[in-house]
Amino acid sequence: MRPPRAATKEQTKPKVDTSLAPPWNVIVHDDPVTLMTYVTNVFMQVFGYPQDKAQRLMLEVHRSGRSVVWTGARERAEVYAQKLQAHHLLTSLEVVDA
Amino acid sequence: MWVARAEDGFLFGGLTGNYVDTLRAVPMLLESSDPRVRERLLPDTYDDPEEERQWRQHATPELERLFMSRCQLVRRDLAAMQQEPEAESFLLRIADGHVSAWLSSLNAARLALFALNDLTAEHMERDGSARVGSKQQEALLRIHFLAEVQGALLDDLDLVEPRDDATPPGA
Repeated sequence: MRPPRAATKEQTKPKVDTSLAPPWNVIVHDDPVTLMTYVTNVFMQVFGYPQDKAQRLMLEVHRSGRSVVWTGARERAEVYAQKLQAHHLLTSLEVVDA
Repeated sequence: MWVARAEDGFLFGGLTGNYVDTLRAVPMLLESSDPRVRERLLPDTYDDPEEERQWRQHATPELERLFMSRCQLVRRDLAAMQQEPEAESFLLRIADGHVSAWLSSLNAARLALFALNDLTAEHMERDGSARVGSKQQEALLRIHFLAEVQGALLDDLDLVEPRDDATPPGA
């Protein structure tokens, strides 16, 4: 068996990825049908938010037409989007602009 | 309609013809193949078409499965509806363990009725039904009735019920 070839300095130098994955926003959009109390309840259930925070976000959806309800890693954002859609909240994902 | 809290669930009584029909339509509305309903229940998530395609590939089948399993629970409760003694009305029992399935199915049914009857946000206002035809008026009545059922369940729901998952969010 041949011994492993000694690695050159360039080969052993770890590559540093300077382009960090950007965070993603989970956005809930207003719809005229879904009850406000239902939306608040879903936010509490999905994110574990306290009632006052869930209510504030629900009111933002209602008044502004949309609200960023969570921001973070894409994989997690997708999990939350799917959970919100499972409760029929109008949900989309967008990357956070640098 | 009257609502009562039982030891292990909710009782909805005094349900007459139209109310019963509206409740029995809930699973059918959730399963509707009408594109307007599917579009609302499975909305676009990404702006980018390729990302959207991938999303639909992995998320949609899972969501559809979830909707179907909720439908089964709702159907089971509807099938167990009983006529009230010495009355023409029916009694619906929703066990605590079925409340979550009912809440989201009722929401889906309301959204489906809205989409199928070309209703707008204005129609949902207090006097919105005054400006629509009879078919839309009937749809609005059904939407509002289902909201009453949802509201009754939400009013009594323990707001600190277990989360969908246990991982603390980063926000």
